[in-house]
Amino acid sequence: MDISQVQTMVDQDGIIFLSYGGYLSQSLISSMTEALEKEAEDNGVNMSISNNIFTIFIELSQNMMNYSKSLEDETNKAQGLILVSKDIDFNYHIHSQNIVSLSDKEKIEPKLSEIQSLDKDGIKKRYRELRKSGQNTHGKGGGIGFYEIAKKCDSIEHDFKKIQEDRYYFHIKTTILTKKEK
Amino acid sequence: MENLKFEATKYTPEINLDATGTISLVGKSYPENTFEFYAPVMEWMEKYFETSPADTTVVNMEIIYFNSSSSKLFFDFFDLLEENSSDNKVEINWIYDEENESAEEAGEDFIEDFEDLNIKLVTK
Repeated sequence: MDISQVQTMVDQDGIIFLSYGGYLSQSLISSMTEALEKEAEDNGVNMSISNNIFTIFIELSQNMMNYSKSLEDETNKAQGLILVSKDIDFNYHIHSQNIVSLSDKEKIEPKLSEIQSLDKDGIKKRYRELRKSGQNTHGKGGGIGFYEIAKKCDSIEHDFKKIQEDRYYFHIKTTILTKKEK
Repeated sequence: MENLKFEATKYTPEINLDATGTISLVGKSYPENTFEFYAPVMEWMEKYFETSPADTTVVNMEIIYFNSSSSKLFFDFFDLLEENSSDNKVEINWIYDEENESAEEAGEDFIEDFEDLNIKLVTK
């Protein structure tokens, strides 16, 4: 592999950092969050928007960490891809991709479809309803992560791609605008 | 009752549970296992209200940003405070930087969700 090709890609696509790999740990997530904090500070991103970027990044990467761990066995290693980039208009894009099972897909899809059908106020309302009812609460969290992300970004897209029986690539792309019309 | 203190880490806030009636959480909150991390805090709070609550309990929360499981946990934390607020005087200060609109909005949501609690928005 030619590392200069990776460098070219990173430069062209405005990639701040990307991480692919084996084990996505909590300490790795917090180190990347620190790097993002530094990046946001150096670029004078306002506090509210930068906190939204951190929250979305944390939400996506902790989600990936949890799903990957649940699938880890002898044939499937925990793996995921998380990428943060900035375009020429200084808007931020956060992508994540990881492998999920069919039953995970069936749990995730209705939430994301619901989110797509709602406007911002609808998402905020649903977030609070779910937090209050606790109906999605599980061992790791409140089951409101996707609503948290949708609340804090300007667009959220997703797709599933089948790799093999019971295994899908799950890709999420979020965009955070840094210059908002007031 | 003994005080309980947790130092801040990169992803958890500094927590001071003082039995004289001052509770504070300051920092960021995105633990890997949020409910597990906060379990001792919730237990301490329950025991505090059961055994020897102060005349007035002041809760200062200054959370810069937090993940969704922490959001759920804070909801449960306020729920616990609300359950005890009829027999006890509880004052909550939700503290944030004036530029931090997300934190302000989070505070406003908690105020609406907990009408019986005395939650004040305090800018730094």
